[in-house]
Amino acid sequence: MQIIVPMQQTVDLVEELELNDDGTGVEREYLKFVANEWDEQALEEALLLKEAAGGSVTVVGIDETDVDGTLFSALAKGADRAVKLTGDFENGISSHQRAAILAAWLGTQEFDLVMVGVQSPEDLDGQTGVILANLLDTAHVSVAIGVEPHEGGVKVRQEFGGGTVHELALSGRAVVGVQAATAAPRYVSISRVRAAMQDSPLETLPAADVDAPTGTTVRRLYAPESSSHAEMLEGDADAVAARILEIVRERGIVKELS
Amino acid sequence: MSPIAFSIALVLALGSFSSILGRRALKLFSAAPAARFDHLGERLKITAIYAFGQKKFLRGEQPAGLMHAFIFWGFMTLGLTVVTLFGRAFDADFYIPLLHPGQPLGDAYTLLRDVIQVTVVIAVTYALYRRLIQHTPRLFGFQPAEKRLHDEPHWEGILILFLILGIMGGSLIHEGARLVLFAGEHRTETERGWEPVSNLVSHLIPGSAAHTMTYVGFWMHNLIVLTFLNLLPLSKHFHIITAIPNVFFGSLRPRGQLSKPDPGKPDDFTWKQVLDMYSCTECGRCSAVCPATASGSPLAPRQLILDLRDDFLGRTERTDDKIVSDEVLWSCTTCMACVEACPVGIEHVPTIIQGRRKLVDQGAMEPMLQDTLQNFAQQGNSYGKSSRMRARWAKGLDFKIPDARKEHVKYLWFVGDFASFDERSQEASRRIAKILHHAGVSFGMLYEAERNAGNDVRRIGEEGLFELLVEQNMEAFAGAEFDAIFTTDPHSLNTLKNEYSEFGEMKPVYHYTELLVELIESGEIALSEPVGSKVTYHDPCYLARYNRITDAPRRLLGAVGAELLEMPRNGTNTFCCGAGGGRIWMDDSKLVERPSEQRVKEAAALGDLDYFVVTCPKDLAMYSDAAATVGVDFQVLEVSALVEQAMGLRDDGAVLAGDAA
Repeated sequence: MQIIVPMQQTVDLVEELELNDDGTGVEREYLKFVANEWDEQALEEALLLKEAAGGSVTVVGIDETDVDGTLFSALAKGADRAVKLTGDFENGISSHQRAAILAAWLGTQEFDLVMVGVQSPEDLDGQTGVILANLLDTAHVSVAIGVEPHEGGVKVRQEFGGGTVHELALSGRAVVGVQAATAAPRYVSISRVRAAMQDSPLETLPAADVDAPTGTTVRRLYAPESSSHAEMLEGDADAVAARILEIVRERGIVKELS
Repeated sequence: MSPIAFSIALVLALGSFSSILGRRALKLFSAAPAARFDHLGERLKITAIYAFGQKKFLRGEQPAGLMHAFIFWGFMTLGLTVVTLFGRAFDADFYIPLLHPGQPLGDAYTLLRDVIQVTVVIAVTYALYRRLIQHTPRLFGFQPAEKRLHDEPHWEGILILFLILGIMGGSLIHEGARLVLFAGEHRTETERGWEPVSNLVSHLIPGSAAHTMTYVGFWMHNLIVLTFLNLLPLSKHFHIITAIPNVFFGSLRPRGQLSKPDPGKPDDFTWKQVLDMYSCTECGRCSAVCPATASGSPLAPRQLILDLRDDFLGRTERTDDKIVSDEVLWSCTTCMACVEACPVGIEHVPTIIQGRRKLVDQGAMEPMLQDTLQNFAQQGNSYGKSSRMRARWAKGLDFKIPDARKEHVKYLWFVGDFASFDERSQEASRRIAKILHHAGVSFGMLYEAERNAGNDVRRIGEEGLFELLVEQNMEAFAGAEFDAIFTTDPHSLNTLKNEYSEFGEMKPVYHYTELLVELIESGEIALSEPVGSKVTYHDPCYLARYNRITDAPRRLLGAVGAELLEMPRNGTNTFCCGAGGGRIWMDDSKLVERPSEQRVKEAAALGDLDYFVVTCPKDLAMYSDAAATVGVDFQVLEVSALVEQAMGLRDDGAVLAGDAA
């Protein structure tokens, strides 16, 4: 099974975040970047799947800050190939743009499965996997918590609220958005990462020039502001219900048909 | 006396002995290389002190230590008796040249032999008493880690002791009978004067039996010696052959300096490690001092060496490829008490770390430890906090600690993770900064450029990460101007002092207690208000055992006027708090009783005590918790609190306990 795992770099959240001058994003210049933790989960699940079913794992990263370390680390963990798509991406990439770049490259590749983190901490619309599947015109499963080989394809587990689990059989090409791997991402020793840096060069090629409008723009980014204090509703069920209805009307949350 | 019969016995015995020994030697020679042929003079010196001088036996637990020393010295002398009695097979009147009766050396030897034989008999009888009647716990295995040892019969040790008694008895009978047989001859009468014990034995032998008894003694002595010889390599008494070389080839590196893994065969045992396995006498001095064993973890250093030995010799059937379980390897606090205690120079800790390196390479570790290693790799500290937060503790000071990257300072303070990020230790860090600032000492820090020194990372077995941290710190050192380093953290001190120099040039490294005591003794810090507190002092392993810094903290306590009550285990014989070697980032909930709690109880047994004084940030955390868990009347106090008090610097007006307020 040929598996491709796109790896994204995100802001290291242990750092103190500052807003940029126009207040539409975080100041990226002084920040440290690490691999998106959901992509790490996707990589782990991909490696487990390869170990169970054979095949290969290719990691692909877009040229974001410190992406090399993430790709070498993936190689050290057991990925077979690492590809870096170069370009000027210092100011961040939207999900639409990311998916379009990846889709352009994936069009040149042979693969069975794309496994990608279901989200990232700085995703505005959290839809990289969904958009990617749409661009590639493949099946798509999101919020996966386990992927295992099944009759030539894979079986994907999805988790819903209340402990409900859903199992889906997938055949043919697919994009899977991974929420959590079956096992915690493995530790890779620094010696192995360093060995990977020496022995396995990254394949680099320019990222496709894409025009992928996001449809949304950030007008203002700000720290959570405390709003007015909570109002505790007292009394019996009827009284509380009546008060809730009153509040909903007051705030104009529902439109009443006249 | 029976030259032909004895020759046959001798040839058979030596043939069998060389064949067994040869097989052992082949296994040893096919092991991985170890560079242990350097500094021969120094090696001869340690051999003289620790092997022939029996230093660890004389310093250690008594009277077992003295008992061993006498048996050892007895064996040294009695080698000559063995030669003499073997010679008598071919010449009934054989004496080693220069050792004839009447010759000065001969008479001295006769007396020595006679006295030593009795001494050995007494010592061996005591050894039998320990095994058969007293049931000394050390000889029966510590539970639960040494269950296997406990299940096995102890007949081997008992048999050997009886054989030694037989050898002594044979020689005494032979000599006694000769005194009867050759009575009246000038040579015999000279000998009689120098061998009072053999003379006593001679009174028990009737003249008619004297001739036979010389033979009985001769055969008894010689046959037991030959049997004994063949049992040696098959039993733990192999140490009689291997222990002296094992001491000779012992590590001459500083205690706190680990070797880099062999890039080719990192998992293979070196011949010195094989010699370690051959030399273990199962005495259990290592397990008796091990904090892991004492707290009910699955590790006992003796059991570890025996498991490795039995597997190496093919004595055990492997159920899987793990000779020693992961839990055993992760249980070690790397406190070095086992290595310090081992009389035959076995190096348990480096062998454990070698095993851990393999586990780290496989990623086989508990989640908390894995997260911690990832924190080290990404943020350079165990807390996973931004390096920009490292010096935040200093914000509460009313002066700014100079940045050694921007201006020249005399001392660079290597603060370490715990003293930077742990809240209790931050308070101590601020206090130390205040004291030094008040004394006008020129000191600075690296601020966010400091990384964890990597001491514990290396001992977890993550060598690559250790090297990465060393590179980052070395780069920071290169970008700063200073004359010397001091650190508040004994773990950092150890690696900075002993290991960094293998990666580049290093300035001298001091512990802050050394710096403080020097400032006080030179008058740069004036103490105006001596404290009268009753304190005990816990020696951190990495300060006392690893780096022999035991005097400075005690001089400091003396200088501030504290009354020091020593715990039974102090100085280089200190007992680990349980935090070292990465244990602080592993689960300790399965331990029966944490080492720190045992230690706090040891202090509590001293009676009336105000403070349990520590000089290590990890100790402050470990013992504050342990004191709360155990519930004791004293407080855990970092030493600079006493200095601050004695300097009259406490701004809150509070007075420490034990002071006349």
